[in-house]
Amino acid sequence: MAGEVKRISEYEWELPRDYRPGMRVPARFFLSETLRKDLESGALEQLANVATLPGIVKYSLAMPDIHWGYGFPIGGVAAFSVDDGVISPGGVGFDINCGVRLLATPLRVGDLEKRRELVERLFQAVPTGVGAKSDRRLSGTDLEEVMVRGAAWAVEQGYGVARDLDRCEERGAMAGADPSAVSPKARQRGLPQSGTLGSGNHFLEIQEVTEIYDPVAAAAMGVAMGGVCVMIHCGSRGLGHQVCTDHLKTLEAATRRYGISLPDRQLACAPVNSPEGKAYYGAMAASANYAWANRQMITDMTRKVFVRMFGIAYEEMPLVYDVAHNVAKREEHLVDGRPVPLCVHRKGATRAFGPGVPGIPKELAAVGQPVIIPGSMGTPSFLLKGTALAMEKTFGSTCHGAGRVTSRTQAKKNLRGQQVRDRLAQAGILVRAASYESIAEEAPEVYKPSLEVVRVVDAVGISKLVARLEPLGVIKG
Amino acid sequence: MPYETLPHTADVRIRVTASGLESLFAEAARAMAAIMAPGCVPERTVTREVTVEAEDLEGLLHDFLSELLYLFDGEGLLLCDCQVTLQEGRLTATCRGEGFSREKHAGGAEIKGVTYSGLRIYKEGKDDVLEIIFDV
Repeated sequence: MAGEVKRISEYEWELPRDYRPGMRVPARFFLSETLRKDLESGALEQLANVATLPGIVKYSLAMPDIHWGYGFPIGGVAAFSVDDGVISPGGVGFDINCGVRLLATPLRVGDLEKRRELVERLFQAVPTGVGAKSDRRLSGTDLEEVMVRGAAWAVEQGYGVARDLDRCEERGAMAGADPSAVSPKARQRGLPQSGTLGSGNHFLEIQEVTEIYDPVAAAAMGVAMGGVCVMIHCGSRGLGHQVCTDHLKTLEAATRRYGISLPDRQLACAPVNSPEGKAYYGAMAASANYAWANRQMITDMTRKVFVRMFGIAYEEMPLVYDVAHNVAKREEHLVDGRPVPLCVHRKGATRAFGPGVPGIPKELAAVGQPVIIPGSMGTPSFLLKGTALAMEKTFGSTCHGAGRVTSRTQAKKNLRGQQVRDRLAQAGILVRAASYESIAEEAPEVYKPSLEVVRVVDAVGISKLVARLEPLGVIKG
Repeated sequence: MPYETLPHTADVRIRVTASGLESLFAEAARAMAAIMAPGCVPERTVTREVTVEAEDLEGLLHDFLSELLYLFDGEGLLLCDCQVTLQEGRLTATCRGEGFSREKHAGGAEIKGVTYSGLRIYKEGKDDVLEIIFDV
């Protein structure tokens, strides 16, 4: 270990190129003093590993929710030249397009007298937990459509309204999806799971807007002080997981064929424009589209529960926005003042495009792209907006969540799910989960404080705070 | 206990110990089943032959566990009792288990994938040991 961590400014840190042999670019990450105490050495090593990949542009980056993952660190962002750079499933993860969406409602906390019943009805309506199956089993033809058209397929099938698509990153369907690169095994895993939430950190949460930091942006996005919202966090289920597994195998062979040497096998990669790289991109985009359709179907289940319980109209629950947290994308960014086509990997990071950048909804062009940062069960979530500075510093990216500080095993050892549930209930947060274990694993104290993570991205300026949302009720797998 | 959990903040990292590589791989399969869906009781009627090919031991282990994960998630088969045979570049296994039931096997963690990061297979005294991280 020749080089040392350098401090660039109050919140910005650097691993210089001489930190480790083989680094092609330096690494940069954003942390406050408080967050720095929880920084794991494994996460820094992974950040340095990414800097060794061919064709990486400017920096290997990590957001303030950086933690130890596999392949890339979680919170990692890296852009690669499409001419001589690579694409890697290790920069996306198994849960392709794991993401979050936020729905507004016309309700206020006072309207939720039957909150326990609401949580229970949502739990009954949305399949959750290990082995949960969908009520709406897709046919093989449906799945083909889902992989190419994503949320648009779901809206056409009646699982939403046309306006929902305007408020999704990529309008709920990435271009370049190639179902022929998705194996029969991946399809087999995906068929029964569309419209299911999953387990682990995935959740559906009822929230209240408790603070507005930016009234103009909040009004444009459609959230109001005191309003009740719903946040949905899930991804591409078994289909995406299998796509990652399958393509890791073909890319491993490709890595050797193209003579790329790797510090971690999980970073298996191939040139962006090689047959193997293109096949992975096509399969990954198909999985991302599956995830958008999945969140759209869960949105429909959620809206129907609210419509039945509160007598509101389906259209009165507009989608605020939907963002992906785990994805690689073809994007154009300015490098040394010139627009360059890049393959941007975001692994546990959120796109945060600034005002005027193509790809954000027309009505929000002046504001910037909405960014949704989920908290944990007992801690607040945040709505932010993308900035011009993010375009300059982080390829239009910001953090994705709080980031764990305690392992799942440790959490289960130290905490009893039932006690966590009771404690949260006393604080006014109702939790309904498939098992007590999953409540213990996801207890509020196992995460970094979400407020500190968003405070740092706001202070750095790679996204700016718009609103704060406090949890009222949660369903989990 | 043939497997223990090691510290890892986000995912599940385990260490498995056995005597001989074939038993080691079988114990890893048993451990993965216990993490996903505790309480598996092998039945005679649920048997699957699994074959994978890879260039090295780590690849064989990775692909073997990934195949069992597929059978769990794609076909609802919880396989926990495997007889493993290793040959050069090839693993075959006869695996027994039971059909997954949400009631019988509640409380597990959804494993998304088997990772190569931190995957190690080594000797410790007379024992064979492996360390592996599952993305959950």
